[in-house]
Formats: sequence, C-alpha cells, structure tokens
Amino acid sequence: MTDGTPAQFFDGLTAGRHEVRVALSDDRQALQIAGDSLPEPLRWPLADLRALSDTSDASRLTLTRHMHTDDEAPRDPARLVIHDPELIAWLHRTRPGLFRRDLHKGTLPKLAKWAAGSVAAVLLMLFVILPAMADTLARIIPIEREVAFGQSVTRQMERFLGGKRVGALVCDNPEGKAALNKMLTRLTDSREMNYEISLQVFDHRMVNAFAAPGGQVVILRGLLDKARSAEEVAGVLAHELAHVENRDATRNTLRAAGSAGLLTMVLGDFTGGAAVAIIGEQVLSASYTREAEATADEFALTMLENANVDASGFARFFEELEKMEGKSAGLPGYLSTHPVTRERAARAEAFAAGQSGTRPILTPEEWKALKAICD
Amino acid sequence: MSLTTTFAGRRLPLLWLAFRTGLYSVLTLGLYRFWQKTRLRRWYWSAIRPGGLPLDYVGDPFEKLLGFLIAVVILAFYIGVVNLALMFVSFSLFQGNYAAYLLSFIGVIPVWFYARYRARRYILARTRWRGLRFGLAPGAWGYAFRALLYWALTILSAGLLWPLMTFQLEKYRTNRTWFGDRRFTQGGRWLMLYRSTVWLWATLVPMVLTLIAIGMGDIVSIIVLSAATGLTAIYGLVYYRVDSLRRLTATKQFGNVTLTLNARPLRVLWITLSGNLIAGLGASIPALFMLGLFLQLQSTETLVQLGLENAPQLLRDPATWLLLALTAMSYFAIFLVWGALRHAFVTLPIWRHYAEALVIDSAEDLDQLRQRPRDETTQAEGFAEALDVGASL
Repeated sequence: MTDGTPAQFFDGLTAGRHEVRVALSDDRQALQIAGDSLPEPLRWPLADLRALSDTSDASRLTLTRHMHTDDEAPRDPARLVIHDPELIAWLHRTRPGLFRRDLHKGTLPKLAKWAAGSVAAVLLMLFVILPAMADTLARIIPIEREVAFGQSVTRQMERFLGGKRVGALVCDNPEGKAALNKMLTRLTDSREMNYEISLQVFDHRMVNAFAAPGGQVVILRGLLDKARSAEEVAGVLAHELAHVENRDATRNTLRAAGSAGLLTMVLGDFTGGAAVAIIGEQVLSASYTREAEATADEFALTMLENANVDASGFARFFEELEKMEGKSAGLPGYLSTHPVTRERAARAEAFAAGQSGTRPILTPEEWKALKAICD
Repeated sequence: MSLTTTFAGRRLPLLWLAFRTGLYSVLTLGLYRFWQKTRLRRWYWSAIRPGGLPLDYVGDPFEKLLGFLIAVVILAFYIGVVNLALMFVSFSLFQGNYAAYLLSFIGVIPVWFYARYRARRYILARTRWRGLRFGLAPGAWGYAFRALLYWALTILSAGLLWPLMTFQLEKYRTNRTWFGDRRFTQGGRWLMLYRSTVWLWATLVPMVLTLIAIGMGDIVSIIVLSAATGLTAIYGLVYYRVDSLRRLTATKQFGNVTLTLNARPLRVLWITLSGNLIAGLGASIPALFMLGLFLQLQSTETLVQLGLENAPQLLRDPATWLLLALTAMSYFAIFLVWGALRHAFVTLPIWRHYAEALVIDSAEDLDQLRQRPRDETTQAEGFAEALDVGASL
C-alpha cells in the first residue's frame, strides 16, 4: 500500500492517530483508506462523504461520513484529515454534497411540536394568565401602598417633563385651584369613590392628562390652553377618574412587569434585542389600552350624566384632537396615550344629544381662573 | 513528550463570518443566533490545535433551537409569574418598583449558575479532539449551590475569601471534566491563589496616596493618583484572572499528563484594552450616524411620545418613514459592528494567546484513551440562552 496521498485518520474509538494513505478505489466510487496501523483498509463511498464546515484553515479538509448513528448529526465519529491541495480541490469540484447538512429523521416534527408548545405557553401567559393575575392582584393591593407608589410615579413624571425639583411644575394659582376643585366635586359628588383624588396641573405645553396609581390625576397646561370650554376639561377629567376607579394604571404596571420579563427572555441575547423587546411591549400595552379606553369613556359619560354636565364638550374635544391628528407634524401628547377614533367622538356626541337639564360646570370667571392657573 | 498548541486562524475571515452571521440574526429577529453561535464555535475550535491536531465542534444548531424552546416553555411560567408577583410584593411592602427589579435579579441568580454549568456541559459534550469526546458529569444544581455559598462567603469576607471561591468552583468543574474515558483532577490548595492577588493588594498604595492627596486638596495629584489607582486595579483584576488560571492549570492532572499555561497578564490586558478601543471606534461610526438621524427626527419629545397608535399617521409621510428605517438600521449596525470587531480584535487574539501558551507534558499515553459515551443534553444550552447568561462562546 504505497499509492495514494498521505492523510491522518482518527477512528472515533481511541485517541490514536493513524498515518494512512488515501486513494480513489478502482471502481472510482469510493475513497480507499489504508495504513499499517489499521487492521484492514477502509472504503468510504464518495456519495456519503461530508466535510466539516466553517473551519479556520482552508489548507486542510476534515472528512467524515453520512451514516446513521446516535450522534448529534447522523455522521460517523471517525475523521479523515487531508492536506493534499489537489485532492481537496478535486473533492470541492466533484462533490456538491460535501458540506450538506444532514438531519436525523424526526428532527423537524419534534422542533415544530416544541415551537408550537412554546408559542402557546408565551401567548397563554401574555394574554390570559398575566392579565388575570394583574387584575386580581390590583384589587388586593392595600390602597395606601398604591397611593405611595402613585406619588412616586407622578414625581418621576414631573422630572421627565423637565421639572428641576419636586413641585417645580405644579400650578398653584388659588382661584384656579378653587375652580378645579369645584369641577372635581361636581363630578364625584354623585357617586362613592374608592380613592381620594389628588388632582394637579403641571405647567407643560403638551396637550395631555394622565392617571397614576392610587388616585393621582395630572392635567398638563397644554390641555387647558387648547380647550374652549370648561365642559371639555370636565370630560377629560371624568375619563381620567374612570382610569383611577378601574385601577388601570396599577393593573398595567403589574402586567407589564410580567410581560417585559417574558419578552426579554424569548428574544435572548441577540444583538439589539432590547429594542425589539421594547417595541413588543408597546404593541401589547396598546392592545390593552384600547380596551381600557373604551371602558373609561363609558364610565366618564355616565359620570357626566349624573353630574348634569353637557357631554358635547367631551365630544368636541375628540373632534379637536382629530384635527390635530390630521397635521401630524408635532405629535400631540394626548394622542399617543389615548388613541382617538371617530367612533369615540360619535359615541360621545350621540350621548350628548340624549341629555337634558344640563347646567354649566363653571361660571365664566371660574373658567378664566382655571385657564390662568399656571400664571 | 511535550505537545505545544498552535492557533491557525486569521482576523479577516472571522470578521466577515461574525458580521455575516450577525446580520442574519438581526434579519431573522434572533432566530439565526443558534446558527451563528454554532458556526463561530466551529471556526474557533478548528483553529485551536493542541499538538497540531485541531479541536472539533460538533454541536448542532437545531438541537440548540430545540433546547431553547424547551427552556421557554418551562421558564415562561416561572419568569412571568415570578416577575409579576415580585412587582406586587414590592408595591405592597415598598413604595416603588425598584425593589422588584432587585428581587427579581436575586431570584434568578441560582438558575443563572445552574444554566452556566449546563451550558458548559453542553459545550464540552460537543467538543472533540483526536476523535474523542470531552464531557462534564451532571451536577448543575450542586454547582449552583456551591457558587451561592462561596459567593456569600466572598461578599461577607469583603473579598478576602475570593481565592477560596475561585479554587473550589474550579475544582468542582475540573473533577467532573472528562476527555475520553479519563477524568481530570484538580490538585493544589486554595491558599496558593493568594499569590495571584498581589497586584490587587498593590492597588492599596496609590489608593492611600490618593486619600492623602484629597486631604491636602491638591487637584493635580488627586487626578494623577486616582488614575494610577484605576489602572493598577484593572491590571490587578487581569493579573488575578490570568495568574490564578496559570496556577490552577499547572496543578491539574490527567493521568500522567500535566498541563502548563504560559499566559502573560500584560499581554491579555493590552489585547483587552486595544481591542475594545478598536471595536468602540468602529461602532461609533453607525452610532454617530444614528445621532444625526435622531436630531433630524424633529424634537426628542416626538420620539418619546412615539406610541404605536400613531404609527399609521407617521408612516404616511415617506420622509419620516425613510428616516425611521435608517435609524433602525444604524441602531442594529452599532451592535453588528461592535460584535464583529470584538470577535476579530478581542476574542480571537485572547484565545490565540491562551492557546499558544498551553503546553501538554507527558503526552505519551494519550493514545491509550478510549471514546466516552454520548451525553445527550437535550436542553443544550437553552436555559443559558433564555436567561442571557452571557457565556456567548
């Protein structure tokens, strides 16, 4: 056995290295591997040859065989290492399946089964278990804790809006505050509230209002500037009070804590995965928001009705927003947290049409004072 | 007979491989990362050649994906419920949400050590040399328990028992590591690692001098001395890592075979600093580009308020659309360039240095070793993947 090109062979059973010679068999269908340390020459059919891919050094080729084994891939654990450039080039040229990936039978069905299982598990968590748990837990949280948390959220929000210190943005013109309180009392008089409402105006040009956990309601000055009547503000306020009573903020925080952890896990550590996780969480909360908004609208309308406040102000506010939506250049704040749809405006309008015996919520002087609360 | 180790692999092909596979990972929303990891490992393994014979990585991307899916099913319930419950507790007991983040971090630590051991077991089970498998015996929970114990001791002793932790954890791993049908054993004593802490102690000198300078109020000396403290501390950490590894390697036994690692701390420090600097400079190009786009995207307020409800209106404007797409692309480009450059200028040179520093002594009886049975490790490194353990290679 002196013909053929020299190579190294590892049999996959011992660590011993066999110096062998490799040649094409007489029928040109297989590689013939022979060496003094091998008990008998080996025959590797060309059709079964596979090479290791993604190696760092093109001047050597490591061959193995396609074979039914219980290994990770259906391959012979034996390895044949070739250095002869001619043989390597010849193999590359004539064996198109050299780098083919082979899978065990049943790999893909098994994968599909687990993929379906994990998608189901994640969806079940995101859309059933976490919302249900958040619902339950939001109800049993002690109210004073919720209030404390809500206050810290409001403080964070103030800093986020550019307040240099706590209370820097709070508007406290006494006449304005009196008008605001009158509005609040009128709205909440007719029903028992679970929370004591803490209502503030922040001096910021954004057209928005929000409800933090535990009865913390904040209106931004931009909304007062934009509103043409006190009834418009009253509508928005009633809507935020609905969020308070429904504990939407608390529930959302709890749910988001669970789902954010879950999304981060699913995306693992691939580059830039964090951004995708954040966007995913946004999509999720948007779907919850829509539902919560509709409920809050109904609640607000009932509240306006009971307080004998004209709901057409609320409707007009929606229309106003829709106009702003048209020229989307500078995105108005209220839109992003409160999706406006034509249906919502129409619903408020229809409701207002059925109202009778309404009286103004503020006198013109009080309304003027409220608009000037930040001066 | 002594075997030296060579490293056969150059930066450019690796850079290209890392960039290409990273790009595929982004384009497939992370799905390709199992393939990326496999391909990069194949490349590194084939470059490391003890006695001139390359290692062989036989891990399969499909088994990694399967392991990940299994981990997701198990962890989906655990992580979701635990995070929510912790947020509730933190709500009810403390005023804020920070306690919840802290607690959820602490709750995941044992699983984290568990996952690390599992990942190591998987990698060793898929590594071959001269046709034989490596292996790590099961024992992940035992490892997690010990890791917690020794970490607690280290923290309670203000770091004085750090060498004890290093030694005991290395011993636990080494005594469960196999090549073929033979097991490694870790010899030596934990006290020998105190020699490796010498440069950490040396940090005390500039630190004390800095304090004196602060007392005297001399600004220039404060700056110079605190810089000296920082540099000595960094070198101290690198020195501890490299030197303790050197000592632990020299006291490992594999039958009659012994190992020597001639790695040099200064070299490792230089590679780490210069390599990260290059990667940082490279990544700053897309980062600056993104910053420019950011300023283009109207005010920052717009971005903050960019809820998804507004996406339809925004996307009607083709210019905004283009701007958003470019911003997203440069965002991912930052990570891609950073990752690929780090492979070429940090991981590769460090591995090359460690590989070339490894000598295998009395290697004669390696020929007698026989194959070990396959370790299925169905979950592959799924837990590590899901928990982002950071054992990227």
